[in-house]
Amino acid sequence: MSTKQTSPLVAKLKAGSWYAYVALVALFFILPLLSLVIASFYDGRFFSIVDYEFTLHWYEAALNSGSIRSAFDNTVRIAVPVTIISTIIGTGGAIAYTRHEFPYQDKFKLLALLPIFFPLILLGLGMSMWASVVGLGYGILPAIVGELVWISPIVMFVVSITALGVDPNVEEAARDLGADSVTLYTKVVLPLIKDGVVSGGIFAFVLAWNNYYIVSYLSGVQSTITTWIHGRMTQGFTPVVPAVASLIFYVSLLLVVGAVIFEFREEAKNN
Amino acid sequence: MESLRGAFSDASESDNPLLALLRPPYLFMLPLTLLLLFMFVGPMVAIVLFSIQTGNSISLDPAMWTLANYEEIISGMLGGSGIYGKVMANTVVISAITTATTLVFSYPAAYALARKIKRYKLVFLLMLIIPLFTSVNIRVFGWALFLVQNGVLDSIVGLFGVTDYPSMMYQRWTIILGTTYVYMPFMLFPIYLSLLSIEDTTFEAAADLGANKLTMFRKILLPLSMPGIIIGSLFVFVLSLGADVEAQILGGGSVFTMASNINYSFGYSQNWPLGSAQAVGLLLITLVAGVIILRTIDLREIASRGGER
Repeated sequence: MSTKQTSPLVAKLKAGSWYAYVALVALFFILPLLSLVIASFYDGRFFSIVDYEFTLHWYEAALNSGSIRSAFDNTVRIAVPVTIISTIIGTGGAIAYTRHEFPYQDKFKLLALLPIFFPLILLGLGMSMWASVVGLGYGILPAIVGELVWISPIVMFVVSITALGVDPNVEEAARDLGADSVTLYTKVVLPLIKDGVVSGGIFAFVLAWNNYYIVSYLSGVQSTITTWIHGRMTQGFTPVVPAVASLIFYVSLLLVVGAVIFEFREEAKNN
Repeated sequence: MESLRGAFSDASESDNPLLALLRPPYLFMLPLTLLLLFMFVGPMVAIVLFSIQTGNSISLDPAMWTLANYEEIISGMLGGSGIYGKVMANTVVISAITTATTLVFSYPAAYALARKIKRYKLVFLLMLIIPLFTSVNIRVFGWALFLVQNGVLDSIVGLFGVTDYPSMMYQRWTIILGTTYVYMPFMLFPIYLSLLSIEDTTFEAAADLGANKLTMFRKILLPLSMPGIIIGSLFVFVLSLGADVEAQILGGGSVFTMASNINYSFGYSQNWPLGSAQAVGLLLITLVAGVIILRTIDLREIASRGGER
């Protein structure tokens, strides 16, 4: 124990200043998102906190616009397959890496997780040229394949963390009790890593939903919500853009909060 | 693990090795491996191959290859003609400052989160995680809405009677604000994870032995959090080398970065070989940093720390 005695007031102030600092950093992190939401409900040209004119008009306009709806449809048509496929193959990679031993295991980990560390602009550019060279072309399908490259490794990472926490002897025990391969994976391994798979899947959807760089290089003439927003942003301020961006943000917010609370609840149960 | 392997090798020994690919673990890693070979390794090879071509198509005949693009870039950098030297300097300066500022601001926050904050920890963590899962476009746009004239900041400082101050947008420091903001989570979380593993008893023992705060920081905290600092710094430096949207929206084209220059070569001037030659540099730096990060990260350790949260 520390030999120095500090008065309770000083200790309280010290603890308080740590909280204050983290609160400041957290505020910095959500400041632009807050600005976005404030702007999306504002009716008028010049912001004023004092006489804030509230309106839902921009949301209405966003939901009624044909070009926004088609961009939204394209985003869903990319994000849903990406979520399903990346969850399956990312989980596969995680099970192989964490629950087995095989030659070149470290090389596999290196290849499988490397895309996470690549700047997306580099991935997007390379894929865009590659798509032209191999005749993959541009559109919804190439965008799906492209996003899978970045998102599946992230799923593998998330699932691996969960899978490494599972007792390494369960497979052996199941084998001893006579489980065949199919039973082993569907009845023993998968249920044990279920939480990681669910979080990985949610993160996959949110990342695909928000992806800009890869989609912008591969989707061709099809616009998604993020490329639509980017196009509008560079052309100067249109009041409907904050509303569209906010809508995208609300979906992400709900899912991420859901995923984190889900994790936390499981953890609380286990402790 | 040994006997698990035994169980599988019993079945696979008698068959040909191709059939072994259809059994665990190879069956599980096959889809991911094929996907990455096709759409990750392929595109990166394409960047390298395009950088030595003369036009926007690939010729596999080495006689047709050229180093002219590299010559143009390097001689431009050395001779000071053209923009390459300036762009490179801009990019490295922005990335270095971003790495330094994210480190300085993240470290105390990571320390507080790992050791000091008990109540509302989940709320704080959530607020720090959420930006990571929001499109970079949307976040940068949010900053523009905050900083722009007649924007949110304007109306807040206006309440205090401040109406006349220099424009916040389209400056070099605005880009650095953007990159610091976007990449700070990549610094904060690795340091946070590395600090989680330090036991309270370590500090108590050090205090009993008469170590003061500075000694504890230098001899315990800093060395034990070094992996987090290294991973975070590499992460932030490499990712901010590729920053494009930040420069485009917040910088408004006032400062050219490597990424925006590469993008320009591809989009506007349709010169794929020149763009690729510039991208090869970024690719090499990324590859080295990525391999170092992955060799430093021990997934098993992260998994065991997750439980201590």
